[in-house]
Amino acid sequence: MGRAFSLMTLVRRVLAVPTINDDPPDFDRLFRLWNLVNDDYLEVEFDFSQCRFLRQNAVAFLGGLARLVEYRGGKATFDWNTLQDDIHTNLRQNGFMGCFSAGRGPWSGNSIPYQEFQEKRKDSITSYLKAKWLGRGWVNLSPTLRDAIVGRVWEIYENAFEHGSSPLGVFCCGQHYPQLHLLKLCVLDFGVGIPSNVRMFTKKETVSAAAALRWAFRPGNTTKPNGMGRGLGLDLLREFVKVNQGELEIYSHEGYGQIKEGRERFLDRSTFFEGTVVNITFHCDESYYHLVSEEQTDKLF
Amino acid sequence: MKIDVHALIGEDCITLDDGQKVHDLILPELKAGRPVEIDFERVGVFASPFFNAAFGQLLRDLPGDDLNRLIKVDNLNPVGRSVLKRVIENSKKYYSDPKYRRVVNRVLDEQAANA
Repeated sequence: MGRAFSLMTLVRRVLAVPTINDDPPDFDRLFRLWNLVNDDYLEVEFDFSQCRFLRQNAVAFLGGLARLVEYRGGKATFDWNTLQDDIHTNLRQNGFMGCFSAGRGPWSGNSIPYQEFQEKRKDSITSYLKAKWLGRGWVNLSPTLRDAIVGRVWEIYENAFEHGSSPLGVFCCGQHYPQLHLLKLCVLDFGVGIPSNVRMFTKKETVSAAAALRWAFRPGNTTKPNGMGRGLGLDLLREFVKVNQGELEIYSHEGYGQIKEGRERFLDRSTFFEGTVVNITFHCDESYYHLVSEEQTDKLF
Repeated sequence: MKIDVHALIGEDCITLDDGQKVHDLILPELKAGRPVEIDFERVGVFASPFFNAAFGQLLRDLPGDDLNRLIKVDNLNPVGRSVLKRVIENSKKYYSDPKYRRVVNRVLDEQAANA
């Protein structure tokens, strides 16, 4: 991977990774880091001296940033010696360290492995979701419900590959929070972003990023119709998150969309990120999953 | 014709390409007025791209009444069935709304011209 480049002197940057939770200001911190590494021929070292906590979104994003630096002809390293002990353990456990150095891991714990998918390979992605995310015994679900969740979450990957068009692929990481009974997953790409696709498709250059996100969530709206009716993925996911009383957040360009407690809102924010980040939170409690059974005798068409 | 989807695709029916495989097998049969039976036994995961390609686009070539008469779907779990019904609903709108289709087709033509 990476661009062909001649002998260049790399510009060295040491970036301090702050404490990163998964609220909007935390995503601003990640997007600021993206701005600092979004140049060619950089030698970036990530320093964790000021970092007290990293959530799944930060892990997926940092992994993606490192690959972005490499793709742009540079070099990215992580100064593992600056990590706090608990973050060190977490990054070993979720396989992140193993991915970027010769460390050990992943192993079982509350972390859901950090993963990079360069291609849309359905078997790898569904295995990850079934075995690493949902199949660890912390979600007491019937196989039917497990499969229903995998099908809905697949729509995120489908969108990322289909519309993101990033040569780097898709990055993801998850976390289980046993005391809160929550399961989180962050899926992101460094592609062109949803607003860019929507503006190009609708030929409305002035559409705000928030309006573009709202458009993308409406059933039937797609920027890749391929001669057939499409555009249901995000709507199906939204419906599922509402049933689960979970949360779905999406960041793309300045746009921010949130579905929480049955309500949805789309806003324009001040920070810009060219790609797309989806952060979802599901309740692990079986009682939150109610899927409506369809009448089997109904006509299909 | 009978199709064992698990044998043809596997336990996850989620991609457009896999849906296209099913579509390409059943369309000639349906066009010839012959019935098809599609068995989803042991298939667990369903997503909209698969159904868009496998079933949704059939409405471009054949009326819904013919498809109801000729297609028999077996062992599709309730979740799969609900996704399929949403896909067909969306597809009906797509193929029956000339204004919507005109806009989409114009964009597709422009994309093809610029390719």
